Amino acid sequence: MIQTAQDMKTYRDRIKKALGNQFLRKAMDNFATAYKQSRAKAFEGIELDVLKQQIANGKDDALLQVLSLFNQFKQKAEEAGARVHLAGTALEANEIIASIGKENGVKTIIKAKSMTAEETHLNDHLEREGFKVTETDLGEWIIQLRHEGPSHMVMPAIHLSRQQVGTLFRDVTGKPVDLEDIGKMVKVARKELRPAFLAADMGVSGANFAVAETGTIGLISNEGNIRLTTTLPRIHVALIGLEKLVPDITTALRILKVLPKNATGQAITSYVTWITGAVECGSSQTDKKNLHIIFLDNGRLGLARDTVFSEALRCIRCGACSNVCPVYGKVGGHTLGHVYIGAIGLILTYFYHGKDNARAIVRNCLNCQACKSVCPVNIDLPHLIKKVYANVLKDEGTKPAKNIMLSAVMKNRKLFHAALKFASAIQKPLVQKDEGVLRHLPFILGKDHDFRSIPALAEKSFRDQWPGIRHEIKTPSYRVALFGGCVVDFVSPEQAIALTRLLSVNNVQMEYPMGQSCCGLPAVMMTEEETAKELAIQNLKALEPLSYDYIIVLCASCGAHIKEGYLKLLAKSSDLAEELQALHEKIIDFSSFMVNVLKVKPEDFLHNKDSVAYHSPCHLCRGLGVTREPRELLETAGLDYVPCKDEDVCCGFGGSYSLEFPEISAAILHQKLDNVEKTGAGVLVTDCPGCVLQLRGGADKRKSKIKVKHISEVISANLKK
Amino acid sequence: MTDMNMMEKMKEKAGLVQAVVSEAGNIDDVIDYAVKLTLSQNGKSIAANGLNAESTNRLKELCIASDIKFIDPPYRNHLEGIHTALTSADWAIAETGTLVLDASSEDLRIATMLSETHVAWIPASRIKPDAESIASYLREKMLVFPSYMSFITGPSRTADIERVLAIGVHGPQELHILLLKENPS
Repeated sequence: MIQTAQDMKTYRDRIKKALGNQFLRKAMDNFATAYKQSRAKAFEGIELDVLKQQIANGKDDALLQVLSLFNQFKQKAEEAGARVHLAGTALEANEIIASIGKENGVKTIIKAKSMTAEETHLNDHLEREGFKVTETDLGEWIIQLRHEGPSHMVMPAIHLSRQQVGTLFRDVTGKPVDLEDIGKMVKVARKELRPAFLAADMGVSGANFAVAETGTIGLISNEGNIRLTTTLPRIHVALIGLEKLVPDITTALRILKVLPKNATGQAITSYVTWITGAVECGSSQTDKKNLHIIFLDNGRLGLARDTVFSEALRCIRCGACSNVCPVYGKVGGHTLGHVYIGAIGLILTYFYHGKDNARAIVRNCLNCQACKSVCPVNIDLPHLIKKVYANVLKDEGTKPAKNIMLSAVMKNRKLFHAALKFASAIQKPLVQKDEGVLRHLPFILGKDHDFRSIPALAEKSFRDQWPGIRHEIKTPSYRVALFGGCVVDFVSPEQAIALTRLLSVNNVQMEYPMGQSCCGLPAVMMTEEETAKELAIQNLKALEPLSYDYIIVLCASCGAHIKEGYLKLLAKSSDLAEELQALHEKIIDFSSFMVNVLKVKPEDFLHNKDSVAYHSPCHLCRGLGVTREPRELLETAGLDYVPCKDEDVCCGFGGSYSLEFPEISAAILHQKLDNVEKTGAGVLVTDCPGCVLQLRGGADKRKSKIKVKHISEVISANLKK
Repeated sequence: MTDMNMMEKMKEKAGLVQAVVSEAGNIDDVIDYAVKLTLSQNGKSIAANGLNAESTNRLKELCIASDIKFIDPPYRNHLEGIHTALTSADWAIAETGTLVLDASSEDLRIATMLSETHVAWIPASRIKPDAESIASYLREKMLVFPSYMSFITGPSRTADIERVLAIGVHGPQELHILLLKENPS
């Protein structure tokens, strides 16, 4: 049934196939756009950040006492006439359910949609045991008929076209189906499934909440199938992950306030059902429902105690991390998940379905932070994905060669910088004059990588130019240090030179501490935590944050990593705590420094009103939370900022991601450039040199007229003086 | 929020999810509405829950006059024959346009799940601003077990095929809400 790629070669083939599916691409694309709009509308007037934090805290508290909540729930629900079970493993849960069926002479089972039942592969087990199982959620019924797994946690059949569904229904019913009329297809399901509801001996559901205080389960649905599943048959079995336990109804209602809005942009689902105990049931001999509630552990209790991964159990299964994921948007859920889909799927697969299923998919993360920002319970998904990747590598006991090389070179700054200078010298015959790009792909890269021009290394790095450019300012208003980052220093020194000019005009004394090295983010991405830590310490010492008013970054990724990542990496290095805190507070991106600190004024700039589009780097808008300043700065500097669709969607670079998954990177990049071209702007501005490389390389390759610039360059170019 | 504002909000929010919301002066208006609606849909039967004896008799008489079958409980015997379910609701939540029903009675559940059209009435005084405002009521209901509490917001819906909204999958295809200005008790 579900066959997830277990090695990279198979996985790359699957990805290429998914990218070639034009319907899927279009469906995912429309969905991504519509979702954002309806979600924003649903949350209008709600203080979401406060609510998110409350829910996350509530979840964490519940996880700490999950077993006592279970005991409380069990006592209450059994008082009310239910039977409550605890299954240690998926198999155990399936066996309990099958034996309930057998003991009660069950032949037919109807199912309401449950991700937990997908997790345990319950249908397969019940069918092997001789039961007839019918899924009743429309999407689940469709994929059951197709023998597939869900491609989205909320909309399981989102990967299929109406024609595919119509054809399927025609084959199943033996009657003609209008292949365009979705309304009529829905009626086919209503008509075909009604007899299954009426005849079923047992109904199986999941649950969204298990309220310990009253022994109540809460279930949400739109179609009404859950109400029928829990009402008509004489037996009801609910299979629930232990993490769904909440202490009381107020906590459950708080989650309910967010879940449908974040999942589909609905204020609330059509139905929310709260069942406490064995209710009246005319089809049962006792006139009471035979209610069994099975809680599933399957690794959850261990996970709840894990200091790093426990927050993954906060997940309320809204599916939003898929909805906003640029990779999901290109390849869909069958390629970005196993049973659980999207960002949370990359994490849970390792714990619930093993490292073989996690091995390939866990690498497919851009670290763009879109999932983290949309998560209603503040799970740091990109961080946990990297941690899972590290676990996979550790379990396998072998590291990719690039990890070993990277660590060896990066730990030694002088060696690293010497290697870059050497590369700059030997690339000369390949460099296209005046364009700053290579004419040919380096031989180690295959044709899959030929979607963007590869930048040339600068002839002279910024650090080598610095002694010649440095200005001494007599009575400076601020003293700042620049953290350049590898790309600015060795590929795009012009971005730093532009900054130098702007700062000296504004009476700011700038320094370029020579001991600085790579920020260490690439090491984090490759899960080389030790190397990342060493680099963090090197930079922390080199930057001397106590001696400066601000540390400016031109690279949003470096900036976000230094600001937030260093806190995580160096949490235990108490001897550097003061410097670490100072660095955390003083690190600032270019635009924020210009707008909020220097408060630059329109009269300092030429007003040529050149139209510019803007790309908002992931690690600026989500990592550092900066969104207003760059746009304001463009206007202040006399440029005409033209809004563009999906400005805050990743450009597809993701550092080494674009080397590992070039086809996906290319697809995301092309969409970005398509959107920019539609604005008619001549220049695309962004504030991350990595994004500049990706966007400029892509624009050059497709011979686009758009010029891609770092924001420091366009602002400096418009200076009057 | 005043009662008036709450009513307006309830109308707006329920309307957004394809519920049909009207005002009714008294319970007789509600019964007339249900019978007329059933006739206009060419429906042949009504199951009613929550009416007092006098109103039940009135509905029965109207049904006879209109050639509509009045279904007597238990509804287990009529799983495939209910056109209109006419029920009361316990509370309404203005913020989301939601009705809250204590559906512990199986008859009430069957009527509201398997009918084609659900007509529900609620005294305007029982509209609350948000779900939190009825949390203590819910908790009480849950503590007196067994119980089956239902939030109903609009008719049954799906977007499982190409995300196109389609109304009426497994539950009622229409939901009509009548806001009673006068308390019928």
